[in-house]
Amino acid sequence: MATQPILRYPHPVLKKLCHRVVTIDNEIHDLIRDLLDTMREGPGSVGVAAPQIGVTLRVCVVDVSASRHGKENNHGQLCMINPEITARSGTAVMREGCMSVPDYTGDVERATEITVRYDEPGGTERVITATGFEAVAIQHEMDHLDGILFLDRIVSLKTGLFRRKNYR
Amino acid sequence: MTPQPDILHYAVSVVGKDRTGIVSGIAAALFRLGCNLADSSCTMLAGEFAVILIVSHVKPFSKSRLYDELKPVCDGLGMSLAVRTLQADEIARLETPGEICLISVYGADQPGIVYRVTNELAERGVNITDLNTKLIGTDDEPVYVMMLEAALPDGQTPEELEALLGDLKKELNVEIGVRVVTPVAL
Repeated sequence: MATQPILRYPHPVLKKLCHRVVTIDNEIHDLIRDLLDTMREGPGSVGVAAPQIGVTLRVCVVDVSASRHGKENNHGQLCMINPEITARSGTAVMREGCMSVPDYTGDVERATEITVRYDEPGGTERVITATGFEAVAIQHEMDHLDGILFLDRIVSLKTGLFRRKNYR
Repeated sequence: MTPQPDILHYAVSVVGKDRTGIVSGIAAALFRLGCNLADSSCTMLAGEFAVILIVSHVKPFSKSRLYDELKPVCDGLGMSLAVRTLQADEIARLETPGEICLISVYGADQPGIVYRVTNELAERGVNITDLNTKLIGTDDEPVYVMMLEAALPDGQTPEELEALLGDLKKELNVEIGVRVVTPVAL
């Protein structure tokens, strides 16, 4: 398996609603390996969702353990199939950037604590409660499964929250 | 390899009493000229509407052509117009290194809040990338609010900066808070 190129908006796949995984077979295991390889390769990346590499299935990976924002509080490497948020509480604003929308960042309001139910690659259902940066990262990746980019959730452009690195 | 066309850039600012149709009027003129809007900021400042645009156009093109097209539009809207040609080194925005933080300042209105705070920041090498102010409160008790976005010099933490601004906070009797907004890559 290998690192896959990250699709960039306006690639149409990034705005698609992804399909549920019906059977966790070798194709899904291969997809997860690709997602993990791609996440590890991306500079500072803490998560990748299947549509970012062109696959419209509800699969994403998250690992904030190496990030300074998440190293104190995380569940390690998460491989999530058909994830669903069953509870959320609190809100906080964080400035997010995305590999599919390079050069832009925006302030996005997210829940500070979420409970997520998902299937693991082995088929077991798992439920975790994530907080802080890990919760933000999971919500960001799960948004990709619904065709939602952080640009859809920008709170305000008023205070210059939407910069370009240059004008060219 | 296909040679890239040379692109000219201009900074355009338009200010005047707010009314309907300012942005569309200016945008229509720029569209007629075949200009691109590379960046923009349009906002209400008290009762004035302020428009700042970075406009680009493929050569050949001229500042006077841009000015001549925009001037009657601005005159019709009762607004002032200024156009400046940008040099090549003004176009690319250098990424500022260092932690990005949001500095909030608020307190009873008085002359000098902006000057004193920004002067402290400049002396400490803090680069302001965005600044907004607003007068709130009542006529009897006006409150001045300022939000600054700034990049800290290497090695300086937001906590240190907040502590360094402590004396000024007491002197001006305002609240000053510093919090990190460094983007997270996802």
